[in-house]
Amino acid sequence: MRTVTNRAKGVLVLLLLLAGFPLIGALPHQLGAIRVAGLSLLWWYGGIAAPLAACIVAVAWLSGPQAGSFDGPE
Amino acid sequence: MTSAVRILAVWLTPAVWLGMSALILDLGPDGLWIGLALVCAPLAALGFGARAREAMPAGEREPLFTVVILLLTVGALLWANLVLAGDVAAWLGGPRWRGIVVAATAGWLLAAWRGARRILTALALLALIGASVPLVEAARAVGASPLRAWDRVASQAAFRFPAVSPWVTAGRDLKMARGRAPIVFDEEHRITAPLGGILRARTVDGNRVADIDWELRPGQSVTLRPGDEIERGSPLRLRFEAGKRVPGAPASGVAWAEARSHDWPRRAALFFTLLTGATAVLSSGVAVRPSRIVVALVGGGLVLGFVWAQTWAVYSVLGAPDLFLGGVTAERLIEPPSLAVAGTAGRRLLQAALLAAALASFLASSVALRERLGALDRTGGGEIGYDLGLWASVFGVAGVASLWPVDPWWLSMLALGGAASALAPSTLWPAPAERPGAATTAGLVGLGVFAALVLAAELPAGGGLGAAALSYPAVVAVPAGACVLWITGRRARR
Repeated sequence: MRTVTNRAKGVLVLLLLLAGFPLIGALPHQLGAIRVAGLSLLWWYGGIAAPLAACIVAVAWLSGPQAGSFDGPE
Repeated sequence: MTSAVRILAVWLTPAVWLGMSALILDLGPDGLWIGLALVCAPLAALGFGARAREAMPAGEREPLFTVVILLLTVGALLWANLVLAGDVAAWLGGPRWRGIVVAATAGWLLAAWRGARRILTALALLALIGASVPLVEAARAVGASPLRAWDRVASQAAFRFPAVSPWVTAGRDLKMARGRAPIVFDEEHRITAPLGGILRARTVDGNRVADIDWELRPGQSVTLRPGDEIERGSPLRLRFEAGKRVPGAPASGVAWAEARSHDWPRRAALFFTLLTGATAVLSSGVAVRPSRIVVALVGGGLVLGFVWAQTWAVYSVLGAPDLFLGGVTAERLIEPPSLAVAGTAGRRLLQAALLAAALASFLASSVALRERLGALDRTGGGEIGYDLGLWASVFGVAGVASLWPVDPWWLSMLALGGAASALAPSTLWPAPAERPGAATTAGLVGLGVFAALVLAAELPAGGGLGAAALSYPAVVAVPAGACVLWITGRRARR
């Protein structure tokens, strides 16, 4: 049961990470366009922060406990 | 390690990673979001795999339906990549068939070698190194770090033809501008036909629009005004003026970097297709959920591919704004037309490295896709992955079909959508053990709905939701299949 909950949590967080992108783009006064170290906040989020976060979420919540081959015998 | 490389090679075929870079360039933030979706979808799908297997009785054979659908999906994905190989050959000035024959023959020869799985990691590393070399070379030529390069692109007042662009110096065949964007001029622009020919244009004079055919003698020029459009597809070599805005390019760097999408139903439908497609291709029939280390390696590889796509897109457009002419297509990123690398030798090195990366990636994908299919053939020991006759047919049919140019990205989405419609419902919601045939019924229903919507795509779509459903039919087909399984489950419980 705990595993299923973790999977659901993981998938939900991945969806939220994706949904965050249009939300930042829709912030008032073009806040997403503010540049930090040359890159806009929107691109920092979509290009760097969100994919890294997605990777961490997948490792923490979406991986299986056992070691084994993904698709058949090695 | 091999397991992670297999997953990456199945998902990140050249049509996808080069397409991701082209989409970022073509659509700006919208393309960036699609790239993010390409990272998130397979990661989410990897968590679904074992669920179906947990409900499947031990020792049961994989249904023939799953094997057939995955074989068709693999064929369609190979087709998309062979189309790209043909496009690349045409872009580099050769005949389409040459690129297709080289890629298809190499892919088929690997099918004959049972030890091919052992070089999968080496092929992936070769692709990684081959794709990284041009990045370093471009960074050196442009003289800016990736962040600085992005800042410079996003600060451009306009995207203009550089004086060294082949579209300016010798001119290029208009047929090579195969993008989706119309070739509309934003300012007065004199274009020349070095070899002559017929130029078809739509001119705007106040409220009056006229379609004109100009018969140009060799070297003759014609001046087009803002709003005028030239028709692509005419076999005509054209030369553009240096320093003029590139037709089809965004109005400015800011317009490119901050463009907002107004079509979120279609974007959501695309993500649904990617998620369910990844579930079907990566997780259907999979016996175990990948371990933490495998997921970490897959995630790392996906992020690396995504960062590469962004960086290459930025360097390419900074050095070669003429990439935007008529819309960006994936094959142009193999050799951005006017990227100012040091001399001919530097240019050749860049081109050779990227071509080697694309070929190595294609070979890795073809091995991984065959291995993926072979893993379903548990009773035959994976023999289907090495059936020379079968794979000769698959590569042969895909190769012949690739002679006709089709958008490789669209083909990849079609393959994922078809696989999703047929396999995702039973992977996500397994059929009751006492009615194993329900999975096939659900798959057939999903596939039928998918096929009907693909055929109906030419009909007027109406609003945003209708257009999204017709562009990505899996959003209707997967729930249709799931409904069949739900009804079967209810009947089984009674």
